[in-house]
Amino acid sequence: MVLKFFRSGRSDNLEHIQNKLIEMLAHDRHSFDSAISALLTGADAEVVGPELRATDGKVNELEREIRRELVVHATVHGTGDVAAILVYMSIVKDAERIGDYAKNIFDLAASGVDFSKADDRTRMIEFSSRASEMITESGSTFADEDQDRAHALIAEADGMLDTFDNLVNSLVVSDDAAREAVPRALFYRHLKRITAHLMNLLSAVIVPVDRLDYSDEPDV
Amino acid sequence: MLEAGIKSFGAGFQDVLLSNVDHPIAGLSAGILATVLVQSSSVSTATIVGLVGAGTLTVDAAVPMIMGANIGTTVTNTLVALGSASRSDEFRRAFAGATMHDFFNLIAVAIFLPLQITTNFLSDAATEIADLLGGNVAGSDTKSPIKKIVKEPVGWITDAIESVTDSADVVGALLIVLGIVFIFAALAFITRNMRSLIASRIEKALNSLVARGGGLVGMVFGILVTVSVQSSSITTSILVPMVGSGVLSIRNAYPITLGANLGTTVTALLASLAVDLRAGLVVALTHTLFNVAAIVTIYPIPRLRYVPVDLAERLADLAVANRAIVAVYVGGMFVLVPLIGILAFR
Repeated sequence: MVLKFFRSGRSDNLEHIQNKLIEMLAHDRHSFDSAISALLTGADAEVVGPELRATDGKVNELEREIRRELVVHATVHGTGDVAAILVYMSIVKDAERIGDYAKNIFDLAASGVDFSKADDRTRMIEFSSRASEMITESGSTFADEDQDRAHALIAEADGMLDTFDNLVNSLVVSDDAAREAVPRALFYRHLKRITAHLMNLLSAVIVPVDRLDYSDEPDV
Repeated sequence: MLEAGIKSFGAGFQDVLLSNVDHPIAGLSAGILATVLVQSSSVSTATIVGLVGAGTLTVDAAVPMIMGANIGTTVTNTLVALGSASRSDEFRRAFAGATMHDFFNLIAVAIFLPLQITTNFLSDAATEIADLLGGNVAGSDTKSPIKKIVKEPVGWITDAIESVTDSADVVGALLIVLGIVFIFAALAFITRNMRSLIASRIEKALNSLVARGGGLVGMVFGILVTVSVQSSSITTSILVPMVGSGVLSIRNAYPITLGANLGTTVTALLASLAVDLRAGLVVALTHTLFNVAAIVTIYPIPRLRYVPVDLAERLADLAVANRAIVAVYVGGMFVLVPLIGILAFR
C-alpha cells in the first residue's frame, strides 16, 4: 500500500470522473435498449425486468460515486476545478434521469403494453434506435469536447423534441381509445425527456456553467 | 540559528525561560499556546527540539510542551469546521470530525502525562532508542551532519548582524526571530510543494477510503500524507469538509486523523538531525512514542476506541443547539486555559 501510494502516477484531474460518467451512459443505453425490446419487440418483461433494475442500480451507484469523488476532488485540489465540478454535478443528474426514463418505458411493458404488433411500430423503432445511438454519441462528444458535433446533435435533438411534442399533442386531442393513446403519449413523453437530458449533457460542451441546459437560448 | 540566538542571551535568559515552563502544566500550556499561535505543530515541535538541542530546555521540561503541541495543532481543523457553521447538519458533522482529534489528544495527555511525570517511561524509552541509534545521551555532543552543513551560512548571517550592532541581546533576538522565520518558511515551502506533487495520489487514496472505509489502512494513509506534506493540519483539514458533507463518515476519518498525529512526529525527528545534543533526538522520539502509545492504548480497545468520536459528536450537538458554545470551546480550550496554565503554574 505504501509503494502504491507513491507510485500512483500522474495527475488525471477529473478524467476518472469522466470515465464513470461514460460508464453511466453505457448502462443507460443498455437499460433503454432492454426497455425498448420489451415494449416494441415482444421480449418477455419478466425476463428483462430484473436485469434492467440491476442496471438501474448500477447507474444510481455510479451517480453517488461521482458525487463523492467530486467532493473529494474539491477538498483536495481546492477551487481550481470548481466550474468543472459544478458541471459534473449537473450532468450526472441528467445521466441518472435517462436511466429513470428508460425504466419508465419498461414500466409500460411491465404493465401489459405491447407495441410489437402496432401499426406505428416502425416509427417508434426508428425514434428509439436514434435515441439509443444518441446516448452513446453524446457521451463520446462530451469526452472529446467536440463542439461542432455537440452543436449538430443538439440541433437534431431539438428537432426530435418538437416531433415528440407534436405526437403527444395529437394524441391528447385524438379520438383514439385511451388504451391506445395513453401508452403512446407516455412513450413519446419519456423519449422526449431522454432526448432533453441528452441535450443538457451536450450543452456542457458548448456553454459556460451558468448557462448549462440553456444551449438553445441566445446569448444575453 | 535558533541555538546561536539563544546562546547570545547567555545562561541567565535560559534559566528564566526554563523556570517559566518548568512545571508540567505550564509546559503543556505553553506547548498548546505556542502551537495555536503558529498554527503548526511541526513548527512548534521543531522549535522545541531546537531549544532542547541548544541546551535551553531539558527533556523533562520539553515533553509536556510536545504533548501540548499535539493539542494545539487541532485548532486548525476546528477553525476549518466553522466554515459550515450556517448549515446545521453539515456543521454538526464537520465540527465533530474536527473535535474528535481534540478529544483523542486530550485523553492521550490525560493518560500519559501523569505517567510520564511519575515514571519518565516515555523519555526513558526514547533515551534507550537514542542510545541504540548511536552514542550515549548523557553529555552527548555528537556532531550532527546537518549542523555541519548549515554552520557556515548561519555564521555568515551572524557576522552580518554583528556588523551592524554590538548588542548581544539584539543579535540573539534577531537570530531567534530569523531562526523561527526559516523554520516557518522551510515548512511552508515543503508543505505547499509536496501537497501539489501528491494531491492526485491523496485524491485517489481518499476515493478508495471513502468507498471502502478506513481502519488501519486509513491510519497508514494519514501517516503517509502527513509525512509527505510535513503537516498534520493539512491532512486533518482535508478531512473536515469531507466529513461535513457526509461523503466520509466520522468513524472512517478517525483512523486517518490518528495516522496524521503519528506522521507529524517525523518533523521533530528530522529537526533533531540538526542539533548536536542527543537530547534533541530523545525529545523527538518521545513525541513519536507518545503518539504510538496513545494509539496502541486507545484504538485497539473496542470500548475506548470511539470515546473521542462520541464525545465529539455530543459536543457538536451542543454546538449546533447553541453556536456560542463554539466560541467558548475554541477560546477556552486553545487560549484561555493554556494562558491560565502558564500563569498559574510558572
